[in-house]
Formats: sequence, C-alpha cells, structure tokens
Amino acid sequence: MNDLYEECAKAIIDLDGDRAEELARRSIDEERPVLETIEKGFVRGIREVGRLWEEGEIFLPELVVGAEAMKRAMAVLEPRIAAGKKELADTHRVVIGTIQGDIHDIGKTLVATMLSANGFEVHDLGADVPIGRFVEEAIASNADFIAISALLTTTMPGQKRVVEEIEKRAMRDKVRVVVGGAPCSSEWAAEIGADGYAGDAVSAVNLVKQLATAS
Amino acid sequence: MSLDFTEAIERKVMLFDGGMGTMLIAKGLTDREVPEGWNIERPEEVKAVHSAYIEAGAEVIQTNTFGANRIKLAASEEGRSLDPSEVNERAAAIARETIDESSRSGIFLAGDVGPTGLFFPPVGNLTPGEARNAFKEQASALERGGVDLFLVETMYDVREALEALRGIREASDKPVVVELTFERKPRGFFTLFGDTPSEGASRLASEGADMVGSNCTIASADMIELARIMRAEIDTPLIFQPNAGKPEMEHGKAVYRQRPEEFAADMMEIVRIGANAVGGCCGTSPEFIRMLHEHLVHGH
Repeated sequence: MNDLYEECAKAIIDLDGDRAEELARRSIDEERPVLETIEKGFVRGIREVGRLWEEGEIFLPELVVGAEAMKRAMAVLEPRIAAGKKELADTHRVVIGTIQGDIHDIGKTLVATMLSANGFEVHDLGADVPIGRFVEEAIASNADFIAISALLTTTMPGQKRVVEEIEKRAMRDKVRVVVGGAPCSSEWAAEIGADGYAGDAVSAVNLVKQLATAS
Repeated sequence: MSLDFTEAIERKVMLFDGGMGTMLIAKGLTDREVPEGWNIERPEEVKAVHSAYIEAGAEVIQTNTFGANRIKLAASEEGRSLDPSEVNERAAAIARETIDESSRSGIFLAGDVGPTGLFFPPVGNLTPGEARNAFKEQASALERGGVDLFLVETMYDVREALEALRGIREASDKPVVVELTFERKPRGFFTLFGDTPSEGASRLASEGADMVGSNCTIASADMIELARIMRAEIDTPLIFQPNAGKPEMEHGKAVYRQRPEEFAADMMEIVRIGANAVGGCCGTSPEFIRMLHEHLVHGH
C-alpha cells in the first residue's frame, strides 16, 4: 500500500524527474492524500538527497538534478493541495530564495516544498538571488514573508542587506523576514533585525505559521 | 629581459603572495563594490598591497583580477560599468609598476584568473566556448599589461579550469599555473562538482599546465593531506595556497583567526612533501607571507 511512497522517495534519490512526475500523477489517480504523498514520499527522497550531499556521496550536479525532480513532482501536486489549506494561501504569501553568491539550493527547496505543502503560496526564486529581487518579488506578489537561505559565512551578510533594503523602502511593517542555512542562528537573526530563524524545514513551517497567526 | 618562471621553480621553492580581497576589505572595500574596480579608482591602495607582499618576501605577486573576466563582471552593476580589457591591463600595469619601483629584484608577476561564476550543465547553461573566450580575452589584456605567468585559481569544476587553461594558451605562451579548490567531505576531498584531487591534478597535468595545485576554502592543516595526494599522483610542479583557517562571523564580517606561525609551520610540511611553490589565500596577510619567508630562508 505504501510502496508508492517508497517509489516516490526513490525517484528523487535516483534523480529521475520523469519518474517523479509520473508517480505524482499516479498518486492523484489513486486518490492518495496529497500532503501524505509529499511528506511520506517526495520529501523523504529530497531529504536523503540532502544527506548524500552533506556526506559527500553526491555533488552539485546531482543535487541540482534531484531538486529539479522534486520541483516537477511538486508542480503536479501543488494544485491539488486541499482546499481548506488554501485559505492560508489567500492571506499569506512567501517569497523564498538562496542569497546572492550562494548556489546551495536544497535546504531552501525543502523549506519551499514544506511551506507549499502546508498551504502557503510560495514564490521560489531559486539560488543566487540578488538583494533587490527579493524585495521586488515581495512587492509584485504582495508577499508578507521573505525567507532567505545562506549556506556560507561569506554570503550571510546578504541576509542583512535584504532587511536593510526592506527598511529603506519602508516595507518593514508589511513583510516578515525569516532566515536559515547552516551558519545562521537565532542570534544572527536577531543581530540583523530578522523576525526569526529556523534550523530545518519543519521548524521553518512552524515559525512562519507562528508569525502568521501572531499578525 | 623577461624572467623565466619555469626555470626558477626548478631551482627553488617559490613564495607567492597572500590574500588580496580580504586586504582590500580591510582598507575599506565594501560588499557593494567589486575589488577589481579599485585597479582604476584606487590604484594606490592596490599597489600598497602588492608592495607590502614584496616587502614581506613574496617572489610572485598576483594581479587584482580574480573576478575580472567578462562573464563575472557582467554579474554585478559595478562590474558591468567596467571594461574587461581595461581593468585587466591596468591591474597588470600597476602591479608591474610596483615591482619596478621595488628595491628587490627577481619578482614575477602572475596574472590572476578566477572562475566565471556561471556553471556548466546540469547546474547552469555556461558553454565551454563562452568560458574559453572570456578567459582568452582576460589573458590577452593581462599579457599586454606585462604579466610573466598566469595563475588560474579557485576553480571548483575541472572542466572550467581546463577551459581557462585553453583560453590562456590561445592568448599567450607564458607559463600557466592552475589551482582547484576542494572541500573536505567525510569520504575525502572533492570540488563542488565532485572532482577528486587525483583526477583533477592528472587531467590538468596531462593538458599541459606548468604547475598544478590547490587554493582557498580549506586551511593549512587539511592542505597538507591534499598535497600528499597530489604529489603521489603527478610529477608536475605543485603549488598550495590555503586560507588562514576557517572564517568565523563577527558583526556580519568574516574573521580569520589562524596565526601566521601555525600557517607557516604547516606550509613547511607541504614543502617537505614536495611542493614547488607556496602562498596564501583568503585571510592571509603580508604577516603570514613574512613568517613563511623566514621559515623558507632558514629551512625549517
């Protein structure tokens, strides 16, 4: 019964985008709960890809192809996310990306996937995103959250510059900024004037939910 | 008369200089500027860094042109306002002036060549031809500015390093040094694209690089192990330029905490393993090069 989820995870680990898309369609045909397919299937796969990358078992080219496979599955599943959850999307939109100069995509993609699976409308700008683009996309999509990933000590200062840019444009009361990535911490978030830090995709969803209900 | 770098490395271990970018940041370069812009706007500051390295004992100084290829410059607003040929030629010319003004003789000038910042598939859409042309253009300008050799550095994809080597060869017959940058993973050393030190070194050597090695990202202690791997793999001359330890964040700025003594001691171990040239990368300053110079002179 749960073999399908195993296959979903495996398609991502095998970096097979065609297969991932096909399995996503099959899960819809079989009327599986969409969230369950995402969390028990594809997300497990992309987590494993992330682990293999951390361990040095796979490298950037494989990581990118794995993330692409994940995105293809999500493109099929996203429109099916339960209508009830859609209410969140009506009120909360998240612009997310990895900061300029940094090409680490996987953690950010995982957070974007989980946010989207939990009903947020997510605009994923990808990696190596310029400071100004975060802000421009937030304006264009009327987002109330900007989530910024930075995996390098050398690119972390970019997170601070996004906060500064938002302040400069007098948008600080409209937009919450959350940060993540290996070298970041709650202290770092506080230092740069961000609204919060999360260490993994699940806490990122909790953080954004918390901030959303507090508003 | 042009000095012959390839003869020099047969005779002795050559001392290269240390970090440029981190030195310019210390002089007030902001993260909104590209370091290469200072070759034109504040050449006296760039010359001061070159001069400090020469005084510290460096025998090879590197031009301030790490990000001065056309593709990399196009990635930033300030970079787009700069003419790639002019930046490279100026950078080489001011470094050459510094050498000429110095009281020391026998200093070589290396034209510094860094990555394009774009990626080959499947990560990006960079083509080998685009990369090679950008490097060729940069090398031609550096050559006009008067470099003695080329130093391709911080390459994280062997394919791009090879295109840099080929592009430079199309523009010049001066020696070419190529350094890859590795991360330490649980299974060993790998570039971002998964190349190992053995594969990388042997591919670059068989493509005719005059000197091969590694720089940046890892600290001197890890570089010792990397040096052993490369020395076991190829007979080509080797060079190593590690960072001054791992950067730590302090008030939004990267801080390098390694002491010059520890760095120099590790580098001497790398020399004993068989390196033909040593120097520093991010976070290393003239103090590191001075300390290493003293160790090299006294042979311990």
